[in-house]
Amino acid sequence: MTIFAVLSKAKPEWFSAKGQTTGAFNGTLFLAFFLIGVASTIVASEFQHGTIKALLYRKYYRGEIFASKVITLFLFSIVNYVLIFLYTLILKFVLFSNVALDAKVGKTTVLGQLGLDLVGSFIGIWLILALVLLIANLFKTGSAAITIGILSYFAASILQIAQSFAIEKWNWLKWNPLNMLNVGAQISDSTFKSVTKLSTPLLTTGSLVYTVIFLLIGYYIFKKRNV
Amino acid sequence: MENILEVHQLSKHFGKKQALNNVDFTVGKGRIVGLIGPNGAGKTTIMKAILGLFSYEKGQIKIDNHPVSEASHQALAKVGALIEYPAIYPYLTGLDHLKLNATGDATTERIDQLVKQMKMESYINRKAKNYSLGMKQKLGIALALINQPELVILDEPMNGLDPQATKDLRDVIMSQAAAGTSFLISSHILSELEKLVSEVVIIDHGEVIKQATIANLNHQENDFIMLKTSDDAAARTSLAQVGITTAEAPGLVFNQTPSATLALVIKTLVKADIDIYDVVHQGEDLEASLLSILHNEKKEA
Repeated sequence: MTIFAVLSKAKPEWFSAKGQTTGAFNGTLFLAFFLIGVASTIVASEFQHGTIKALLYRKYYRGEIFASKVITLFLFSIVNYVLIFLYTLILKFVLFSNVALDAKVGKTTVLGQLGLDLVGSFIGIWLILALVLLIANLFKTGSAAITIGILSYFAASILQIAQSFAIEKWNWLKWNPLNMLNVGAQISDSTFKSVTKLSTPLLTTGSLVYTVIFLLIGYYIFKKRNV
Repeated sequence: MENILEVHQLSKHFGKKQALNNVDFTVGKGRIVGLIGPNGAGKTTIMKAILGLFSYEKGQIKIDNHPVSEASHQALAKVGALIEYPAIYPYLTGLDHLKLNATGDATTERIDQLVKQMKMESYINRKAKNYSLGMKQKLGIALALINQPELVILDEPMNGLDPQATKDLRDVIMSQAAAGTSFLISSHILSELEKLVSEVVIIDHGEVIKQATIANLNHQENDFIMLKTSDDAAARTSLAQVGITTAEAPGLVFNQTPSATLALVIKTLVKADIDIYDVVHQGEDLEASLLSILHNEKKEA
């Protein structure tokens, strides 16, 4: 974030100060990679070190253990998003006094757009984290989960054109989980609706439903696994 | 005597393979029970089922009269365990592990006492990734004991321990058992196990062959004799021709019975022109008893 802020200060023609501020100086991008790593490790490392046995033979139900990991990850992600928000404000006040938080950006303000960007990113990353937890439970290895998590992160933008054509042809495809990965982009920029063919509330709901489905499948695998 | 652990008619399959077949045994309160048998007999599977790590198709497991299964773990609050290998996070110190796992009152005092008992003071503050196999094993055992459980399940606890550490562990187990803790221990080091356990459960092919006290077991079983010959394979064949079967063990081991005496064995081998270099009477120890039981079971099969 600091590097992008400094670059934006030094080369405003490369990175606009307002755009960087509303985009949290790209902090969400790096946080996404970090959280994908944490999500895979929080499960896979227990299998890797053999500590899963010591966790599971306790008096607690497997559901409680799985839920404790999900809750820990959820709280950890919230703390990190709050830190990114606060650090964005610090960078803005230190380096960009010319950017007013109440300045207009589309229909909202700089501060409002920053909020939308962070909320959208948070909902989008949780769809990916739920998938990562599922994969880590399934394969008991962190590398597979991280790879799939990072691929998922880029999948929406890489496959955007192909997906857009496919949705044009087969409308029901708009409900596929890959389309839900666009939730962050659409919350931040409502014109994305032309690509996803879903309203923002529907896309957000769909994304949350898929997140819950992935978590439930992950829990089922965790519950049924012999260790 | 009251039982802390009851395993009743426990059966489990891995695919088509029957891993456990109607396993039945008990562990009395304050008793140290050995779970012994050949590799792949099902010892670890039984232990994992008791700890709710495995589902099972049939049977019942009760700890202090409370059922335990993969979906019912409440009774496991009274259990400490070391299964297969120590559950250790490499980036934490031994002390961190003990603090992380210790629950209830006076945890600091309990940790200090256990570290002293297990003689881990010199490395307890080092990160576990730098521990030797023996150090990890001791930490794993300490983790099983830290919450003063009523039942402790130890799978091959002597693995990687030097003679002094083995003795220290024996002393710890004995003192805990004297205080009322029950132990279920599996080990292939039968000479060590014999010094600890008061009872054994012998498992083979997923079935309980026998549960008996050490005294009864040694009394009931016959002598085992090991021979060193110039050609063990040929000796085995010659003995088989006169109806004497040998145990699957290094060297040539047979169970001396009224119909299979040492004299008959020697005569048979001499007649077959096989030289005998040594005759070792294995006596009535746990190893001999186990071999005898497994040998008889094989003969009956």
